Amino acid sequence: MAAPLELSCWGGGWGLPSVHSESLVVMAYAKFSGAPLKVSVVDNTWRGSRGDVPILTTEDNIVSQPAKILNFLRKQKYNADYELSAKQGADTLAYIALLEEKLLPAVLHTFWVESDNYFTVTKPWFASRIPFPLSLILPGRMSKGALNRIILTRGEPPLYHLREVEAQIYRDAKECLNLLSNRLGTSQFFFGDSPSTLDAYVFGFLAPLYKVRFPKVQLQEHLKQLSNLCRFCDDILNSYFRLSVGGISPAGQEMVDANLQKLTQLVNKESNLIEKMDDNLRQSPQLPPRKLPTLKLTPAEEESNSLQRLSP
Amino acid sequence: MMWSGNRRVRVQKAAEPWPENATLYQQLKGEQILLSDNAASLAVQAFLQMCNLPIKVVCRANAEYMSPSGKVPFIHVGNQVVSELGPIVQFVKAKGHSLSDGLDEVQKAEMKAYMELVNNMLLTAELYLQWCDEATVGEITHARYGSPYPWPLNHILAYQKQWEVKRKMKAIGWGNKTLDQVLEDVDQCCQALSQRLGTQPYFFNKQPTELDALVFGHLYTILTTQLTNDELSEKVKNYSNLLAFCRRIEQHYFEDRGKGSSSIRSS
Repeated sequence: MAAPLELSCWGGGWGLPSVHSESLVVMAYAKFSGAPLKVSVVDNTWRGSRGDVPILTTEDNIVSQPAKILNFLRKQKYNADYELSAKQGADTLAYIALLEEKLLPAVLHTFWVESDNYFTVTKPWFASRIPFPLSLILPGRMSKGALNRIILTRGEPPLYHLREVEAQIYRDAKECLNLLSNRLGTSQFFFGDSPSTLDAYVFGFLAPLYKVRFPKVQLQEHLKQLSNLCRFCDDILNSYFRLSVGGISPAGQEMVDANLQKLTQLVNKESNLIEKMDDNLRQSPQLPPRKLPTLKLTPAEEESNSLQRLSP
Repeated sequence: MMWSGNRRVRVQKAAEPWPENATLYQQLKGEQILLSDNAASLAVQAFLQMCNLPIKVVCRANAEYMSPSGKVPFIHVGNQVVSELGPIVQFVKAKGHSLSDGLDEVQKAEMKAYMELVNNMLLTAELYLQWCDEATVGEITHARYGSPYPWPLNHILAYQKQWEVKRKMKAIGWGNKTLDQVLEDVDQCCQALSQRLGTQPYFFNKQPTELDALVFGHLYTILTTQLTNDELSEKVKNYSNLLAFCRRIEQHYFEDRGKGSSSIRSS
């Protein structure tokens, strides 16, 4: 249980800790169950090249695929489903199957197959995070994998055409979103007041769809009309990923640090000036010694000079 | 009333009469049909029985190619041909018969989710067992699948289908699973179904719905089909309420209609 758990996953953007659905599912589950997960982003390393991400590494094991990772975490006693009844556990499995069958094809299509979205958003984002020359190959491969998955599971043999299935998968996805919205109703999470595996999965699938800015947005528009699902995503982002809300790419974090540094310098400068003024005050013979300069006016020339020097 | 032969434009009416000669097509029952197709066909038959709609089952060797979507079973009603349980349920609903009207929105969502669970796990596991497990493929599947055709067509068709199914398994991430992992998934699925069913007679208490038909189709076929080993049916037998559920539906909808235990009138 005390073994360090390291998760390699794709990085974040648009206010999300990760843009990749499966990585997000694992990260959310870890937050819900309190698992101490060290997240290492695979941007610009060679490990993500196998497309197996997210991967959980411990001292002895390497686990891939969200379902297996979640099982592993549960075995390590990080269980977010502790309070669920047997029926709720069964419902969780059923709803996850619903997400994978009905929603996932359309999400994959929006990200990887729809040409406007793919070429303007997805491909540049992933290509910028993969080292050359893999950046030329890997996004294309991921796109083909997504297309394959859609037409093999939805298309009709022996001639698989994307056109026929596009309308159907979006219809299915919208229906699935409506069903999720009906099921969630006004409660905060799907089962009571504490989040569970199902919440992690729903969040993982919906959050990228909700937050990433796409040119072709029909599914996103539909999602935005379902206000309780949007509220659900925002709640989880704010409560569990608060530090990352401002955009968690390492560059963003550095900028925050730089700002903090600048502020510290400014404060130091101010306190230096204040000390100088204090010295001036002490040296001036007509004045009683004072600890800190105040805004009170004194007849001393030097003091008014110092005051002038202080003003920015 | 005979509808056949009339090329009529179909008008959406509230409840159109269900013709007497509605037919369901599947592969040859004795020698050709496989576990997954048998399960799907039984699910549709159970659903239509639950709706009280008469259907005649016809076995044809090329049923898979006759079907508009390439999947069996399909029904021929009037001058409409509809395949697979989902579209058939919608088609029947358009004709004014529905089993799930009494459910509220949340229950409908649950029903759809559980149907997807069965499709996602049970059906995929059946396909895996049939086409990706070498022992079963060699002993049962290849021989059965190509049996109506002469050599070499029987081998070619069987290999082609196997390649297709393996491609699909790889695309959804089941390509690297071992048989034990697949059986584990089946167990998980059965456990979920068993927990959801509890002590009720049907999944949504008193009345059966399409979910009951689908679950019955798959579980009954798994229980009654002879495979190379009994592991799959053993997984289902662990759950006594599922066994009772299958028996209940079998007795109520198949035996009582005077059709005998699992055989439906076939030509």
